[in-house]
Amino acid sequence: MIAVDNAAMTAATLDETDTVSTPGPDGQVLRLREVPLRRTVELVSIDLPTDTMVPLLERGIVPGCRMCPLRRSPSGDPILLVDGVVIALRREMAECLCVRDVAPDAD
Amino acid sequence: MDECGVATAGTRVESESGDARSGSVLVALVGPPNSGKSTLFNQLTGLRQKVANFPGVTVEKRLGHVRMSDGREVGLVDLPGVHGFAARSLDEKVAKDVLEGRAPDMPQPDAVLLVVDSTRLEPQLMLVEPVLELGLPTLLVLNMSDELEQRGGSVDADALAERLGVEVVRANARAGEGLDRVRAFLERVAAGQVAGTAEVAAVAAGAAGPEADATGARPTASSAAAMPAGDAAAASSAGSAAARTARPRRIELPVLETYVDRRGRIRGIARQARYTPPAPSWLTERLDAVFLHKVWGPLIFFVVVALVFQAIFAWAEPFMDGIETLVEVSGAWLGERLPDNWIRSLLIDGVWAGVGSVVVFLPQILILFLFIGILEDSGYMARAAVIADRMMYRVGLQGRAFLPLLSGYACAVPAIMAARTVEDERDRLATIFVVPFMTCSARLPVYTMLIAAFIPDRPVLGPFLGAQAATLLGLYLLGALAAVGTAFLLKRTLLRGESTTFMMELPPYRLPTLRSLAIRLLDRARIFLRRVGRVILTVTVVLWALTQFPRVDGAAPEVDDSALGRIGQVIEPVIEPLGFDWRIGVGIISSLAAREVIVGTLGTIYGIEEATETSTELRDRLRQDLDLGSGVALMVFFAFALQCISTIAVSRRETGGWKWPALQWAYMLTLAVIGAFVANRIL
Repeated sequence: MIAVDNAAMTAATLDETDTVSTPGPDGQVLRLREVPLRRTVELVSIDLPTDTMVPLLERGIVPGCRMCPLRRSPSGDPILLVDGVVIALRREMAECLCVRDVAPDAD
Repeated sequence: MDECGVATAGTRVESESGDARSGSVLVALVGPPNSGKSTLFNQLTGLRQKVANFPGVTVEKRLGHVRMSDGREVGLVDLPGVHGFAARSLDEKVAKDVLEGRAPDMPQPDAVLLVVDSTRLEPQLMLVEPVLELGLPTLLVLNMSDELEQRGGSVDADALAERLGVEVVRANARAGEGLDRVRAFLERVAAGQVAGTAEVAAVAAGAAGPEADATGARPTASSAAAMPAGDAAAASSAGSAAARTARPRRIELPVLETYVDRRGRIRGIARQARYTPPAPSWLTERLDAVFLHKVWGPLIFFVVVALVFQAIFAWAEPFMDGIETLVEVSGAWLGERLPDNWIRSLLIDGVWAGVGSVVVFLPQILILFLFIGILEDSGYMARAAVIADRMMYRVGLQGRAFLPLLSGYACAVPAIMAARTVEDERDRLATIFVVPFMTCSARLPVYTMLIAAFIPDRPVLGPFLGAQAATLLGLYLLGALAAVGTAFLLKRTLLRGESTTFMMELPPYRLPTLRSLAIRLLDRARIFLRRVGRVILTVTVVLWALTQFPRVDGAAPEVDDSALGRIGQVIEPVIEPLGFDWRIGVGIISSLAAREVIVGTLGTIYGIEEATETSTELRDRLRQDLDLGSGVALMVFFAFALQCISTIAVSRRETGGWKWPALQWAYMLTLAVIGAFVANRIL
């Protein structure tokens, strides 16, 4: 699964930024804010320049990882569960994350 | 260098600070933030530790010693919490420099303690590969193992150790569990018995492992996959122009791939170690539902903030008064025992009063940091930062800046010290820079004195708002606007940086321990007294000297004839356009020690006994000397100017040098002069 994603990534990352919208087998690609709360999704791509992406990557938030929006902060920013870590992002950041649905028990 | 990768005495560099003595052993603690790394550090070193700034930056390092069974001391350095060594943030750069032996005042560590939170194992293990690549003897500490078990998780430490090729220890630093095994590791390091990871790294990291030097020397960026992501990022950004034309986006690829591959490998490693993640913390879920609730969240936030503010504003006061009284009384007592000459004046009015003016800050600092400690250690601070973030982001800062900024309304000194909770270096600097604009409590006596003298007691909004209160509010607003505007300006010019990458990890709620709180308070007190106190004391004595010399018939001169008075007269032509005369000039110079000093100074100059901000004599005298324009100009001057040596001293300590405080002082003075000029012209 990850190998396939990598191939797709490799082919598609010749852009200025890593923008990929590869429809996956489980469903269409969504922006993170379109995902209803408590639904597990898989990160497909990160729509940011490489430099800006690194802090996310370092924490293991890479294409292929599982995310689950838990709630929204009082000001509307998303709060996610990623690999057992609860992370709050600015909504501008969430805009840059493309995800797709996965079956909740697929691991 | 022997095969164990431990430097022999001959290869060690004598460090200037003397913390790592020639021939002694240094071990570094590395790990992500919130991994309990510092708790482990405290447990190992106890009180045998100290905090210092890395020179020239706002990053702190904590150094300590652990005593071995044979009496030897092993040096321990607690590095800032990081997620990697890509060197994008200052914390990461500093950690990387230390670990690679490039820190200017520290030798390369002989071993590494990698501390991770075992309840969030997989993401935290992302650090394992970069750390192993260093080739240093490494001990992996799986901290919070009690919590892992409590929440139904588990991990096979031995399998993990086998897979990674390093020793693995389960620990619960808070309760001191696992400490004995960590100590045992340190003993073996001190005796030179632990192998570097270079030889084993090739085995452990699998297919994409770095090609390690057989001699056990630290492998440099030798293989493509081992090319530290930081170098790739640096190459792509620094040399991007050249790189883009030569080999377009190819350079960018390895960065993303490196991390994706690494994450995949970690997943495999976790599986082999039979890691079962713990169930989500029920308590954290329930509390977050309230603390991050759309309505309750901000409400609770305001209550907490009000509480902290009230504490540093009001609760500290009796202690501060107590200290001031103590200094006065003891000063008088001492004075009686000394002959009446200038030496006595120097000791009592200069040095002793100076010491008092330093110690008086302690209650506020300790109270603020007590609250910070409780909020941080419990985990609530992260939630508060999330709530405050949107507002802070609008002015160019980030969530965690809310506490320092708000504290600035009480006093800038503890507030600037509190700015270290801001994680990003640029945001930290910007916060430190603008905090003094917040209307601190020392400005109030000055405002009170001037408003009473120059603003008529007329209603502005009927019975709701009078002219005097409106002016005070206006001054508060002026300060806040200056802060916001300056922050905005800074983030666009000197401290430019993308803020979209702001993300806040919300750790599970935990109970703070008294021990960690106590150590934190002791740290801050020590730092303040030693580093900041020195500067404050020096300036206080210098200012005292300016009022005491030249002597007239062996006694102190009148203000007019003192050195200070002369200086005031010299600058008079400069401050005249602002509506000030030489007496105000003297007041301004002397209030560099502390803003409220101007009240007493003016009283002395006008020959008024026991002048306070409410004394009518002083008010009348001011009205004689200045007009409305000058009065308001002076108010505006104090709203903007950095009239506080203590703030400058703290700013210097926290920014690691004189550059920023000097810039700060000059900028605020310029703004003050312009503001005062405009006010004087208009009115």
